[in-house]
Amino acid sequence: MIRRKLSLAAAVATATALTLTACSGGDTPAADLTSVIIMAPFLEAQPPSADGAVQKKLEELTGKQVKINWAPNASYEDKTNITLAGSDIPQVMVIQTKSPGFVKNAQAGAFWDLTDKLDKYPNLKTTFPDIQKNASVNGKVYGLFRERSPMRTAVMFRQDWLDKLGLQPPKTVEDLYKVAKAFTEQDPDGNGINDTWGITIPKWGALGTNSPYDVIEEWFGAGNRWTERDGKLVPSFETDEFLQADRFIKKMVDEKLINPDFATFDPTKWNEPFFNGKGGMIVDVDSRVSVLVNLFKQADPNNFQNKVGFVGNLVGPDGKLHAHPTDGYSGFLAIPKASVRSEAELDKVLQFLNTMNGKDVAVLLNNGIENVNFTVQDGKAAAIKPETPEGKAVSTDIKSYAQLGMNVAGNQFYPVKQPSDYEQQVFDKRTDVMAQDLKSAVYNPAAPYVSETYVAKGAQLDNIVADARIKYLAGQIDEQGLKDAIKLWDASGGNKVKEEINKLWQDNK
Amino acid sequence: MKIHNTRGGRIFDAVNYVFLSLIGIITLLPFVYVFAGSFATEAEITRRAFFVWPEQFTLGSYEYIFATPAFVRALVTTILVTAVGTLVQLAFTVTMAYPLAKKTLRGRNVILSLVVFAMVFSGGMIPTFLLVKDLGLLNSYWALILPAAINPFSLIIIKNFFQELPAELEESAKMDGATEIGILWRILLPLSKPVLATFALFYAVGIWNDFMSPLLYLSDNSKWTLQMYLRQVTAASDLLGTGNVDPNYIPPEQGIKFAVIVVATLPILIFYPFLQKHFAKGMLIGSVKG
Amino acid sequence: MAAPVIDTLAGERVRKSAPAPRNRGRFSVHFAHYKWLYLLLLPGVVYFAVFRYAPMYGVSIAFKDYVPFLGVNGSPWVGFRNFEDFFANPDFPRLLGNTLILAFLNLGVAFPLTIVLALLLNEVRLSILKRTVQTLVYIPHFLSWTIVASLSFLLFALDIGPLFQLLNTVMGTNIDFLSDPAWFRPLIVLQEIWKNTGWGTIIFLAALATVDQDQYEAAIIDGAGRFRRVWHITLPAIRSTIIVMLILAIGQMLNTGFEQIYLMTNALNREVADVFDTYVYFVGITQGAYSYSTAVGLFKSLVGIVLIFGTNWLAKRFNQSGLF
Repeated sequence: MIRRKLSLAAAVATATALTLTACSGGDTPAADLTSVIIMAPFLEAQPPSADGAVQKKLEELTGKQVKINWAPNASYEDKTNITLAGSDIPQVMVIQTKSPGFVKNAQAGAFWDLTDKLDKYPNLKTTFPDIQKNASVNGKVYGLFRERSPMRTAVMFRQDWLDKLGLQPPKTVEDLYKVAKAFTEQDPDGNGINDTWGITIPKWGALGTNSPYDVIEEWFGAGNRWTERDGKLVPSFETDEFLQADRFIKKMVDEKLINPDFATFDPTKWNEPFFNGKGGMIVDVDSRVSVLVNLFKQADPNNFQNKVGFVGNLVGPDGKLHAHPTDGYSGFLAIPKASVRSEAELDKVLQFLNTMNGKDVAVLLNNGIENVNFTVQDGKAAAIKPETPEGKAVSTDIKSYAQLGMNVAGNQFYPVKQPSDYEQQVFDKRTDVMAQDLKSAVYNPAAPYVSETYVAKGAQLDNIVADARIKYLAGQIDEQGLKDAIKLWDASGGNKVKEEINKLWQDNK
Repeated sequence: MKIHNTRGGRIFDAVNYVFLSLIGIITLLPFVYVFAGSFATEAEITRRAFFVWPEQFTLGSYEYIFATPAFVRALVTTILVTAVGTLVQLAFTVTMAYPLAKKTLRGRNVILSLVVFAMVFSGGMIPTFLLVKDLGLLNSYWALILPAAINPFSLIIIKNFFQELPAELEESAKMDGATEIGILWRILLPLSKPVLATFALFYAVGIWNDFMSPLLYLSDNSKWTLQMYLRQVTAASDLLGTGNVDPNYIPPEQGIKFAVIVVATLPILIFYPFLQKHFAKGMLIGSVKG
Repeated sequence: MAAPVIDTLAGERVRKSAPAPRNRGRFSVHFAHYKWLYLLLLPGVVYFAVFRYAPMYGVSIAFKDYVPFLGVNGSPWVGFRNFEDFFANPDFPRLLGNTLILAFLNLGVAFPLTIVLALLLNEVRLSILKRTVQTLVYIPHFLSWTIVASLSFLLFALDIGPLFQLLNTVMGTNIDFLSDPAWFRPLIVLQEIWKNTGWGTIIFLAALATVDQDQYEAAIIDGAGRFRRVWHITLPAIRSTIIVMLILAIGQMLNTGFEQIYLMTNALNREVADVFDTYVYFVGITQGAYSYSTAVGLFKSLVGIVLIFGTNWLAKRFNQSGLF
């Protein structure tokens, strides 16, 4: 282990020394990159071990010594800033979100501007130019974005309740209301007590965070955070559709179709009302469907197949489907200038990343090692059961290695085969529904743009409207109060934000 | 020691005992829930809002945690670092507190002012990080111990305690020819056991619970402490509802959270009762007479 | 004739033999006499110099627009702009008010309760009960605020929480404690009491352990009852500890702690919930603003130091021992 570290250190030292000498002139070709240091977050309880099978295979496939500094994702932003402030900067850093902190560092020159540099690498040329634009900072691409399925919105409901009441899955927002009402008033669990309600919404409300409120507002046609009206960009909450949507939600609140403690309900307990037969519907990401199915499966492995049903986005009152997407990416892999000093070196690192985004490595990072923890069946990765110790080590590790996946040209790895036929059906249906909805996705036109005023006071400003929305729904203020709050947003700096966003938008059209 | 108890005194005692027992239960109950939850399945935790023993007992959460040697290593590491660190920090603090307890010492007030000042003002996370780096302490366990070697608050309390001790002790020792260090070691420290025990506990808990230092200073995964894991497991699911989480992420089951809390908390909980032995009353009896 | 018993280590010592070096006179003489003490002092002083004072230049971050990549020196200087933004912010009076109110509530309620609990524990003579409760009572200190918040949500849950039902039945009302602004502060203080009172008793119990038992015996013989014994012997014995703890608590007053409040804040009670620390967090996530949080931290530190020295001076005026 020590010898390995020494040789690694020697390799890094050599590489650094060589690159330093190479940097003295202009763009003299750098020595071949023999090792790469990456900083990445891990979300599991423990990081992968440095001499695990996945690590070895990764180095084999890329032909380089790859040292990954795994940092816990709690406080990852602090760790990023510390790293940038220090002097041991890795060559590749995973950045989790396009936070203003990141933007500041990028604009100060911390990272390479990769706009127009990526197309000559076959695996790095993206098939999602819209998402790449979203991930950019005012048009400048500061890293390889990590593609994450852009369409994730689903409405899930207790299928057994639906069946008992003889209802159909909702297709429009009107249907949503009807089903919620039925769940509340018609005793769907058949226990004779009036103790059920329609939709459960937890404490949530920051704008533009894919909350149920954001989703429903989009269904009504208010747009996704920002929307174009009369040739200009306006925030979604300044539209009439926003008010209509909130009136709709308020109607449901007043009729007790939504849990009365929506302003304070603990989000970590979101599954409970659904599971315990109290709240029949949830509007959230489609992965929650599988989580719920799994809960029922744990509770009763023989009888869980008919409990959870779901649909995708719902058609709005205007008869159109405005599907709510996420930004489509979850941060990116950025290349710090302090450790990658020349264009030639950058080329080497990009070549490395090109290999990382190829099929072989993608399969390794996301599926594992064939015949150790999975086999390929019908184009899917089926887990090998019973799990061997090696297999378990690999499948635990890849949960973290997947953080390195960029997938800018789509998923190159195998979808995972689900443990049972029923679950496979659910999974496939999720994939289909989401793919279908993606066609009607309404993106946030302002996503690439960073407004200075927003950076300075955006969160507080947004709170004005977000809080007002909740207060309105709770009946503490009336619609005029909500409108006043929106005006207050404007007066407190929102007007400047609108100006800046519009200017950036115009300049970059 | 005979205590003559009046009737009022007896009523007071009864009420007090009941009251304190209630307090004991109120403080214990949530931890019992966490403990029980660590042995329960996700389905049961979701189903039952609160319980003190699971209906379906499972060791799954603990298996998950202890499966990787990394976690066990972190546990052992943390215990060692805490033990050594506590001794080091206590030593630093006591040796500085004793001289500062002498009001006739020149420069004392200046130094004390600087200590108080440092209690309130700080250079910040990044400058401290750069300092630790420049000292070559990065990735070393000493980075978890030295930057917090003296807690100004503890220093002041211990100093005050020394100040309160009777002067005769030192005088009679001096007349027997003892040196300053000898006085400190042989006389004052044994008498200060309650206070020393208290601050040993405080320092130990400080190191044990420290999450930021390992995060910032230990880049080598094999050196990690327990709190890193604890934070990792509990903080992640707290981000739900903020939209800040990688969409592919499914939070760890609640049972695992509970298990990590138990493992990260239990050792310290057991440490304290050992220290309690030193809180016996009347330490000064017999040391100064007439 | 022996000097009276109150003469402490810190006091001046009168000897029959060679005169003790005064505070006047040459430092070298003073130093020579006290050299062992200065030697003992050395490690600590070095520690403070290196680990506490050397990084102090970081305070300048408050006056810059700090970008980690550019470093402290490379980041542009902005003078007092961060402070101006902070004070000129229309929310500032509200934040100040909320922070101060919570601070005073904690000081006025939680602090005395800690002492009361310590005294009550001290009065227990059944050793097993005393030691058990002492151990149990500080367990909450180790549970994170997340757990405390979860528990609160459970206990005060609308309509179904046990405490919700209990309190509303007793008071004959229908209050949603978790969202009603009027109940936010009491809830926070209650959580603080539950979580930290037990831990806070440790210092006082240690001090109580050193109280001279002879005095109790004398008082009993004089016929003093329980309460009078506590009032006239126990409390005075730990008075200096109480004062020091109080001074230090006052110095930390503006640090309300971010996590607890953040977890309990929601759209309906934000008016009273927002304090400096949560505000800095919000600004932090939008700006990545070390500058801003450093500036606010600096402000809090300045207030803290003034409070500490102020109350210390006040204590001295009343002839109590203080920090010094």
